[in-house]
Amino acid sequence: MNYLIKNGSIIDPARRVATVGDVLIVDGKVEQVFDMAEMGSEPGPIPEGTEVINARGCVVAPGFTDLHTQLGEPGEEHRETIASGTLAAAQGGFTTVCAMPGTTPALDRAGIAHQVRAIAQRDGRVHVELIGAITLRREGKALSEMIELAEAGCIAFSDDGRSVADPALMRNALAYAGALGLPVMVHCEDSSLGAGWAMHEGAVSTRLGLPGAPAAAEELMIARDIALAEDTGAHIHICQVSTAGGVARIRAAKARGTRVTAEVSPHHLTMTDSWVLGSLAPRPAPPEPPAAKGKRARRGVAPELGLPSWLDPTLLPPYDSSTRVSPPLRTGRDVEALIAGLNDGTIDAIATGHSPQSRVEKECEYGLAAPGISGLETALGLVLTLVHRGEMDLVNTVARLTEGPAQVLGRSPATLRPGSQADVVIFDPDQAWTVDAARFASRGKNTPLHAQQLRGQIMLTMVGGAVAFRRGDFGRGGPGGRHTSQLSGILGGE
Amino acid sequence: MEHPPRRHQVIDLDDLSTEEIEEILATTESMKEVLSREIKQVPALRGRNVVNMFFEDSTRTRISFELAARALSANIVNFTARGSSVEKGESLIDTVRTLQSLGADIVVIRHSQSGAPYLVARHFQGAVINAGDGRHAHPTQALLDLFTIRERLGQVRDLRVVIVGDIVHSRVARSNIWGLTRMGAHVTLCAPPTLLGPSQHWLATWPNLTISHSLDEAIKGADVVMALRLQKERMQAGLLPSLREYTRAYGITPERLAQIGEGTLIMHPGPMNEGVEISPEAATAPNSVIEAQVTNGVAVRMALLYRLAG
Repeated sequence: MNYLIKNGSIIDPARRVATVGDVLIVDGKVEQVFDMAEMGSEPGPIPEGTEVINARGCVVAPGFTDLHTQLGEPGEEHRETIASGTLAAAQGGFTTVCAMPGTTPALDRAGIAHQVRAIAQRDGRVHVELIGAITLRREGKALSEMIELAEAGCIAFSDDGRSVADPALMRNALAYAGALGLPVMVHCEDSSLGAGWAMHEGAVSTRLGLPGAPAAAEELMIARDIALAEDTGAHIHICQVSTAGGVARIRAAKARGTRVTAEVSPHHLTMTDSWVLGSLAPRPAPPEPPAAKGKRARRGVAPELGLPSWLDPTLLPPYDSSTRVSPPLRTGRDVEALIAGLNDGTIDAIATGHSPQSRVEKECEYGLAAPGISGLETALGLVLTLVHRGEMDLVNTVARLTEGPAQVLGRSPATLRPGSQADVVIFDPDQAWTVDAARFASRGKNTPLHAQQLRGQIMLTMVGGAVAFRRGDFGRGGPGGRHTSQLSGILGGE
Repeated sequence: MEHPPRRHQVIDLDDLSTEEIEEILATTESMKEVLSREIKQVPALRGRNVVNMFFEDSTRTRISFELAARALSANIVNFTARGSSVEKGESLIDTVRTLQSLGADIVVIRHSQSGAPYLVARHFQGAVINAGDGRHAHPTQALLDLFTIRERLGQVRDLRVVIVGDIVHSRVARSNIWGLTRMGAHVTLCAPPTLLGPSQHWLATWPNLTISHSLDEAIKGADVVMALRLQKERMQAGLLPSLREYTRAYGITPERLAQIGEGTLIMHPGPMNEGVEISPEAATAPNSVIEAQVTNGVAVRMALLYRLAG
């Protein structure tokens, strides 16, 4: 099937393109891009039987890559399967997901990698990349057979949600992986600090009497792992950075030329520990309409589109276990630092940290609940709240979901350049929708965002030129969408 | 996600107004009068089912609730489960639904996990009283402390109250901070830094607190000194060098007893480690109200049961 995506706002960070135009997809590849930037460019011959997708008012971008996804197979099928997880990915605009090795058994040897790859080939709706375990059973005691894992197709190593506590073993892991040219992805937490924590240690944990994980526990491990990366020359990737101190250490290391990259999750960028208070938290005042703050004062917001989206933690009851996640939700100061880190390039990628959990693991006392947020399907809507508030740029946001993750993996980024594989996402940045966890494609319905209103919704996801997800009847005939001029205003001056 | 109406639950004092606390204390007074009669029973809750759901050992609080329910002629049964419900393979929610089906009207819950009563309240149609959850809250203890202070000193407003001990792990401290500050007292928290945590974490929620690391300084001019139980595990966890040093620096020793005036109330929520956080001399001094606290506990719990059953 061939497609002509018409009148979309094309954002292609790898080519530094942001303009209105059409994309022609033939035989699974991007055939041609006609955009207003190239004046006089005329559509060439359109093959017979090409479906025209009307993308007026929507952003057309390369498909997103998620560096940090738990897919549940093998052994955790009550939480997720590759079929359900990759459908959730497609619904979230992700055309590539990197499967974390925290399965049962862990992905710590080539045989399991082959098994997961076979399931992914059979059931996967999007591309699935494999991350091998650093240590056997993720126990932090003995290295896994990294050469064989790499031969079996693993593109990185991680102990998924755990730090390698022993610094000597971690140093060996970095040296070994370094020789393979693959990144080591680390969850940074010194587990002896704040052992048994349920949330971030701070004013909220003090009020609620929940054991807390101090920010220093993360910062300490980031500092150690950066030191070991410098020592070995290997590439270290910091997963799910959540603290201001962590961002500062990564920024300083990058300035020194250390091979360090980092990712941040949509929830750490937009939510704080006050979500654990739920209805005990002060109810946030709706932000002022951007129009009141001066004409076009806030980049990324079209004043005529009304109020930006905002999130309300008071919709939750106190101690709602859906807010329990690792690393924990931090403070407003940390959120500001994370956004700044994303804007200045300290943080390379937005990664969901998708961690589906079953009801049994979540519907219990807060301190006993499994950590994790099912994040694939709300990722775009969450990060767009920052765009709507003028705290992030739309083009940079798309770049952190496409170009950034590719750079972490040392690959050429997904792009809409003619001749490249047609992994494409189309989203409406202004479509308001209400999160309904029951309707997630993921088996993990664990989200603190249930009943929140988000603005920005995936309309269509294409993997290798085939439609992997389409919202309703999107793009089929009719005028559809709003006027392009509103969106082209956002992109003006790019 | 629906929240039950507030009047069906007492989980902490954070959502009670000054007026509501006054009302409860006034009802407590009437209940205390009932308990002074020869026949210590009124028919107010006849035919109502109260379940004591204790997931953590506490003979004292359980008996106090039991006597309170009996004094109001309620039917009371005890559901006791040691350890976490998850370890037993039975979920808290399932237990609550079962009690609901068995016809419970009021559930009294004691649990080692902070926040557990909120989970119970979400899944139980009747009334819920928190009898202590983790480090979070112990509202009946705080109310009986307020009642005892007012009974002895005539008021709570403007009093200077020192809470000393293992504050970071204490639900008694947290509920007392809510109750005492709401009723207009000046509260000082006194503890070694390892049993308190950073001051700003407390001041963010309660900006009027005074934080002190010196008991000798804190007790100057105090109207009430409330000592908290020190669990011996705290020393094993490396939070304290020794019990000896703790007692010297933070215990209500005979020397400190002499230093604080005879008009200063000495309180302790029990059970005491005599010789650690409080000396036997201080526990039995004329200005100690520790026994009155226990007596008043029954009346306060009657007042709450009566209020929630209404």
